[in-house]
Amino acid sequence: MKWYDRITRIDRRIIYLLLTSLVILPFFIKVTIPQNIMPQTKRLFDFIEAIPPNDKAVMISFDYTPQTQPECHPMAKSLLRQCFSRGIPVIGLSFDPQAPGLAVDALTSIVNEFDSLATSKEDSLVYGVDYVYLGWKSGRIAAQLDMGEDIGGVFPRDYFGALIDSFPLMNKVKNYKNVAIVVILASADYPLDWIRYPQTRYGVNVAAGLTAVMAPKYYPFVQTGQVSGLMSGMKGAAEYEKLVLDHGYARALGNAETGMNSQSMIHILIMIFIILGNVGYFFSRRQKGADK
Amino acid sequence: MSSDPWIWVGALLTLMIFSFLYKDNPFYKFGEHLFVGVANGYYIVFYWHNSLRPNLFEPLGAGEFIYLVPLLLGLMYFTRFIPKVSWLVRIPIGFMIGWGAGLSIPALFQAEVLRQLEGTVVAPSSFTNPMSGIWSLIILVGVICTLIYFFFSKEHKGILGHTSRIGIIFIMIGFGASFGYTVMARVSLLIGRIQFLLGPWLGLID
Amino acid sequence: MKRKIPLGICLIMGIMMIIQFFIPHPVSLGFASTIYKWVIVLMAFALVLAIGNLIRHHTLKIRKRKEDWPYSIVTLFGMTAMAVIGLIWGVDPDSLYQRIFLNILAPLGGTMFALLAYYMASAAYRAFRARSLEATLLLISAFIVMIGFMPFGQYVHTRFPAFAEWVMQVPNMASQRGILLGVAFGSIATALKIILGIERSWLGGKE
Repeated sequence: MKWYDRITRIDRRIIYLLLTSLVILPFFIKVTIPQNIMPQTKRLFDFIEAIPPNDKAVMISFDYTPQTQPECHPMAKSLLRQCFSRGIPVIGLSFDPQAPGLAVDALTSIVNEFDSLATSKEDSLVYGVDYVYLGWKSGRIAAQLDMGEDIGGVFPRDYFGALIDSFPLMNKVKNYKNVAIVVILASADYPLDWIRYPQTRYGVNVAAGLTAVMAPKYYPFVQTGQVSGLMSGMKGAAEYEKLVLDHGYARALGNAETGMNSQSMIHILIMIFIILGNVGYFFSRRQKGADK
Repeated sequence: MSSDPWIWVGALLTLMIFSFLYKDNPFYKFGEHLFVGVANGYYIVFYWHNSLRPNLFEPLGAGEFIYLVPLLLGLMYFTRFIPKVSWLVRIPIGFMIGWGAGLSIPALFQAEVLRQLEGTVVAPSSFTNPMSGIWSLIILVGVICTLIYFFFSKEHKGILGHTSRIGIIFIMIGFGASFGYTVMARVSLLIGRIQFLLGPWLGLID
Repeated sequence: MKRKIPLGICLIMGIMMIIQFFIPHPVSLGFASTIYKWVIVLMAFALVLAIGNLIRHHTLKIRKRKEDWPYSIVTLFGMTAMAVIGLIWGVDPDSLYQRIFLNILAPLGGTMFALLAYYMASAAYRAFRARSLEATLLLISAFIVMIGFMPFGQYVHTRFPAFAEWVMQVPNMASQRGILLGVAFGSIATALKIILGIERSWLGGKE
């Protein structure tokens, strides 16, 4: 076998082994390469920075699944840190049936983190006052549209079964008029429904934190301003973690930032393999041409 | 290494699924079937707690009998299991399809046609910054040529052939970018699992 | 009757939903709101039906002793156990239901998708060839994104990340928008055909 044939036939087990090793290795070699922040991530951050404290709420639609947790979960945590640090009330909800468990996890961990640092009772976060999780609802387009009239009509009870009329926050936020922005953290096309329906009907501001697979599709909406900010995959999450850290809303970088070094290594590895495959293909084709 | 039994359960299930990389095996099949079962059991809880109870049975219990309509329509879905009256399933389907189609027409037209065309228009104001003016022109050309590429009612010859050729160039750049992003996404998911195994389970990283 | 009634309902619903969109009068809003509430319930029923189908599929598999039937017991057991736990003991952050979600469901789902990284790397190596101008462009664009959006991209050239962002915002955006517009036109046409009863495949069957 010629050398160029050999480089196109590397055993898949070698590829798997190299891939695994290069994901693991960067966790033990601490190198911090500064993140360059993409403009659409900064736009979302700035949008939330401009919301006055204790005024309108930020609605977070947790629509990602365990399958895409490494990309979207850090986004949720950073976003919550920013909102809670700035005194912006948060209303969580979900339309993906696999999302509620992750939403509860993100909210609980960040609330516990804030409460552990609170020096007085006033400093701690109160469920129903500072945040609420409405839970999951079927018929998402209908639910999104009906919330424009009355959120309580769609979600009479929260995820845990409590009547939402009992929450001071939900007495203040009756519909989208009291929602500054809806941020959809999703692993499927959920933001598209928010853009098509409640935004067209009620003019609600929409932003998104998406898995990298979906992000390119949303660039046209960013350009028209229909999407007020966009976090794209683990990179977007790492950028947001950095912005939140730089503004003093977090004490350390999170999982997305630490994963970016592995991400870089794997990108280089995959590119090397694609180049090897192509070099082999080019030479074997040239050889075949010469043989003819 | 973790002393939390739950972490161990998570780690062992992770390894069971990873075993598929070697080949299909009973451990993987077990994990796969457990996932489907637990996921559906998980859904049942909030189909009840989050939808049917608060949005149907509680209003009905409070005397709002208008909710008998969606209850009846919903029950019609199950007629598909009774051959004699199985056609009744078409009624809730017709209701839902008509509703969705009617709602989508104005919404799509506004959000995905008008607003997108608005964003594509090149006006003199686009050239206040000459570079962004040029980019706007490229976008305009790209959008038109991509649309022409997907226009199959006429043979792609002459001017149509040239423009669709430019269209395919734009489409390929778009697909390439999407591929790059897909690599990023898939690798992220692997990193997440490795982070879990190295951190919470083995305790080798923070 | 078996076809006309559903088609009639579809037509009426379609037209009413279009009309209400343009009339923000309280009567129209009230009507739309009622319909939305019904749709929420109907969608929940559709999901219950899906679960019913799953149970039927696995029970049949066990009863007929089809290939891999013991795994169907795992599925049915997992489903029943999870549903009972959630319905009886609740869904609080420290409930057993939430623990099972985080420690069984999440690792299983997460790892299934993590496998894709291996297959994608292997497939890209074997199939990603610059065979034509189009394929070469695809390859170059993918490389620009893969380098430009990683932290090391700035060491290739200080302006490389900005160039990658330009690729996303200009040529990528143009093609995505072209596709988006095409799909939107197609969807609107299909929706109209459904409402007017030209597209009837959703009726299924002959009768």
